[in-house]
Amino acid sequence: MKSVNRQHPLLFRLVIAHYLLAAVCFVAIAIMLQFVSEDLNGHYFQPKLLAITHTAALGWGSLMIFGACYQLLPVVLETELYSYKIAWLSFGLFCTGLVLFVCAFWNFDPGLCMQAGSILLLAGILLFAWNTFITSSRTEKHSIYQDFITTACIWLLATAILGTLMVFNFRFPFLPKDHLLFLKLHAHMGIGGWFLLLIIGVSSKLIPMFLVSTKQNTACLSWSYYLINAALVSFLVDTYLYGVNMKTYIVAVAAIAGVICWLIFIAQCVKSRMRKAFDMPVMHTFLSFFLLTLSLVALPFIVFYQIKGDGLSVKSTNIYGTLVFMGWISAIILGQTFKTLPFIVWIKRYQHLAGKETTPLPADLFSKRLLSVQFYIFLVFNAGFYAGLFFHSDILLKLSLLWFLLTAVIYLLNVLIVILHKSKTKVYGNF
Amino acid sequence: MEIFDITQSDSFFKLRVVESLRLVIDPELEINIIDLGLVYNVDVNEESKVITISMTLSSPACPMGGTIVGSVENCLTHHYPEYKTSVDLVWEPVWSFDRISKEGKRLLGM
Repeated sequence: MKSVNRQHPLLFRLVIAHYLLAAVCFVAIAIMLQFVSEDLNGHYFQPKLLAITHTAALGWGSLMIFGACYQLLPVVLETELYSYKIAWLSFGLFCTGLVLFVCAFWNFDPGLCMQAGSILLLAGILLFAWNTFITSSRTEKHSIYQDFITTACIWLLATAILGTLMVFNFRFPFLPKDHLLFLKLHAHMGIGGWFLLLIIGVSSKLIPMFLVSTKQNTACLSWSYYLINAALVSFLVDTYLYGVNMKTYIVAVAAIAGVICWLIFIAQCVKSRMRKAFDMPVMHTFLSFFLLTLSLVALPFIVFYQIKGDGLSVKSTNIYGTLVFMGWISAIILGQTFKTLPFIVWIKRYQHLAGKETTPLPADLFSKRLLSVQFYIFLVFNAGFYAGLFFHSDILLKLSLLWFLLTAVIYLLNVLIVILHKSKTKVYGNF
Repeated sequence: MEIFDITQSDSFFKLRVVESLRLVIDPELEINIIDLGLVYNVDVNEESKVITISMTLSSPACPMGGTIVGSVENCLTHHYPEYKTSVDLVWEPVWSFDRISKEGKRLLGM
């Protein structure tokens, strides 16, 4: 008999710590945004906006993905996580670094606090990547999902190394070119290399499972993998050497084609699904795909305005950046949290009782009503926020950011409902 | 899964075991393992008092694999305390969607 996946006893606390802190960071982002709504129509290179962006990228997106990876790597790669001690050490270093880093950015003090923060963040990321690489190397079966995950970790590491160099560059200028050029490279390594590849790798394994799909065209995923990586490498080399130019259009087209290949894979999974109804977490995921598509639509405009030297390049970059972090990444996390977190809590609370007593199911551990409310409030936020950015309306931005705060509070509340769930059972009668 | 043979004295007991196993639910799909077609065979040894379940999972990497196997053990230990339970996890024949029963398909909304 082959052994089956059983939840490691140390996994529960580790994953909960990551999810909880990420949810708190999400509320923190929503609060911070209330103070900077007027700056959102200005240039993105502002201390407070950079503090918020890093809280979103590191505290919200990455921390949540780290937690999800610890839970899902054994599933996706069909092997045990290499080390729980390294995972905890990574968490401690990462969180301490994050607090120092974000505070330093908010007050724009590029001194010791920011430097120490960046070093701690880099150390935390290095440990996470090491843990992932060794876990991945122990898997018996190679898969495209493994390629996506390990390559995403390499990009994350590269993003963090360049980010750390940029922090030291504030005080001891040594980078050979303009700081904003490196910011562009740093941001795209993070968005395209880390978030996009990781999300594609994990979602391509999980979505067919959730939908019970009979058809999975992994050739599309291979195309997606090579196109996105080729686009990223070309973008980094070409932009470093020549800045944004006409060739950048080709790079953007390659990246967009890579995403389209992945969306074709997802569309086939949806078409061949046996489970017909879509639940709220899956609806959030579809919304995230839509927002990702919108962000990709913004890419050619950014290139166009940058080549032209038009000020609209800043506006389109703002729309693109917010669509990525507050739209695509947030939407997918807001939904998938309630596909993954309830399972880990359910296994902890009910695994020993399942089969002999009537237990709630994982989907009963969160409030479905709150999740529906969250979805519609988040939709209203998106509509108002992007209209506000597009039409340069401060009122719309301010109002929509209140809806964003409400989304974050509801999300945190629902996460707490899952984490604090107490066992409720009923003994079955005998047959 | 063919377990009912009127000439065999344990057939009715095996059917009871199958009915008991309908209480084991796949936590993600929210469908019991009998209607999902995960159980291939039920064997009862009256001499050694052992119930052996031959079953599979939707995939070897099924995230709920450990939970489902544990639930089968919990279920049978609870309902038939005089028997020991053995779960034999098999991968041949490979599980496919065709194994889902009509009721299972109905529950999936098909």
